[in-house]
Amino acid sequence: MPRLPTSLIRAARLIDPLLPLLLRPCRDLRSAQNELRWLCEHIQNHAGARNITERTALLKKLVQERSTGKPLQYILGTEFFGDFEIECRPGVLIPRQETAASITQLVHLLRKSKSLPPELRILDLCTGTGCIPLLFQDELSKHQDIRLELLGVDISKKAIQLARSNLAKLRSQGKPTAGNKISFMRADVLDDAREGYDHEIPKLMSALESQHKSSTWDILISNPPYVSPSEYWKTTTRSVRCFEPQLALVPPPSHGLKDLDQGDRFYPRLLHIARDVAAKIVLFEVADLDQALRVTGMARQAGIFSGIEIWRDDPGGSAELESTYASGDFPIVGSGNGRSVLCWRGEGAVWLGKHV
Amino acid sequence: MLPPSLLRLPLRLPSSPSSLSHLRSPIRAFTTTSLNLQKHFPPRLVIPDSDIEENFLKGSGPGGQKINKTSSAVQLKHLPTGIVVKCQETRSRSQNRKLARKTLAERVEELMLGDEARTRVKARERSRKKASAEKKKRRKYRALEEAKAAEGTEGGGEGDGDAAVEMEKDTIEPGKGG
Ligand SMILES: C[S@@+](CC[C@H](N)C(=O)[O-])C[C@H]1O[C@@H](n2cnc3c(N)ncnc32)[C@H](O)[C@@H]1O
Repeated sequence: MPRLPTSLIRAARLIDPLLPLLLRPCRDLRSAQNELRWLCEHIQNHAGARNITERTALLKKLVQERSTGKPLQYILGTEFFGDFEIECRPGVLIPRQETAASITQLVHLLRKSKSLPPELRILDLCTGTGCIPLLFQDELSKHQDIRLELLGVDISKKAIQLARSNLAKLRSQGKPTAGNKISFMRADVLDDAREGYDHEIPKLMSALESQHKSSTWDILISNPPYVSPSEYWKTTTRSVRCFEPQLALVPPPSHGLKDLDQGDRFYPRLLHIARDVAAKIVLFEVADLDQALRVTGMARQAGIFSGIEIWRDDPGGSAELESTYASGDFPIVGSGNGRSVLCWRGEGAVWLGKHV
Repeated sequence: MLPPSLLRLPLRLPSSPSSLSHLRSPIRAFTTTSLNLQKHFPPRLVIPDSDIEENFLKGSGPGGQKINKTSSAVQLKHLPTGIVVKCQETRSRSQNRKLARKTLAERVEELMLGDEARTRVKARERSRKKASAEKKKRRKYRALEEAKAAEGTEGGGEGDGDAAVEMEKDTIEPGKGG
């Protein structure tokens, strides 16, 4: 990372002596000022510090923590995901705004549909904080009179605990719409035997069969680990590498798997599951347009979908000029980086308004 | 930020979307009575979605899992006027979006007011010039008449003097916020 210019540091110090420390992770003055303001607000609203001396000391401590690169969301304990303030804890990936944008767009399409069934079942694999099912049910129930059953699955114990705690918090605020059923379950989405694998953790399909009477799901959503080992070192930021769990980012190695294929590792498995649970709509997050194109290729090969589309970071925004980018036959929607792949079949097409 | 004075402007703005297509053109003068009646009403401009372009402020480089941003800045552009506002006040993108919309509505109002005020200032200038030109002319005419050498007549401009006075009563100064 390039060094910060001394003039910038000096300017920051003139505004507030704590600002130069925040410049380290933030890189620009405006963001550093924002974060300082949010840290102050946090201390005023939540922290137990009673008098001004205690508060100042606490602020200094938090600013110092942040200057090491520790994500602000872990320090403040939450991140916003759509309209929701989701609890975050070290050991569980912090929800990203691009993910929220895709979920919002999916719900936006469903909301316009006049032919949704009275009940929809949504499966979210690799659920982390549980942010996806929580946002999905809130945004859809606000506008449609529909009963939802949502299940979030993760291999990490910490993630499942956090997801349940997020659900409990929303329940206490009366948030999850009555009649909707939301639950979280610990299971392994991948189906191979891996080294160092905890055999206590059930495999997804058997867990679904034993715990849920029906194993058909209308909508399958997943933001799985999608960073290859080499990309992990070359393209993730230091704060991500040092503070967020690698389990959430890099798929496990497998014998004979090349770097790129390891990064893609969850997708063939997820497509398999989509077929087995008879999903009519599938939404997978990806790292970039290249991976999106690889995943659309896999989805086409699966041969079960009637439509496939690539979404960018802001799928609701105006389309970018390079929409015709070598996508083969698939439309690319919105603006920003390639961010997700949407597939549908059967009634899914009608629900998404892809059919007249 | 807008100067607080601007927020208190006693003004009622049309809320029908179609009125916005006329943003660039001068808006008819508000009457003194409506100004008084609407004194305590907040700005009521509603900008239709179709007039707004929202920019996802993606930093350079990759997004998604690879980077953990704290910025949730939202940038909105009002297409008919080209006004751009950015909001990074809160950590919540949806909250910033709401705030940005509010600011945008205020800016657009401000522009409308600015236009309004400018139009009035121009009109006043024009009528002042006309009035003084008139005076000069009258003087000249008198001189000419006195000289009994009447040539051509100067029409119009009769009500201009009065209009200028009217204008001065309720002219709104353009806001200085930027
Ligand atoms: C990129 S995070 C996504 C979290 C959340 N859905 C979100 O969007 O913020 C991926 C998640 O997958 C989980 N995970 C990793 N390997 C898994 C596996 N084999 N089976 C199930 N979950 C797994 C991780 O624990 C992590 O929570």
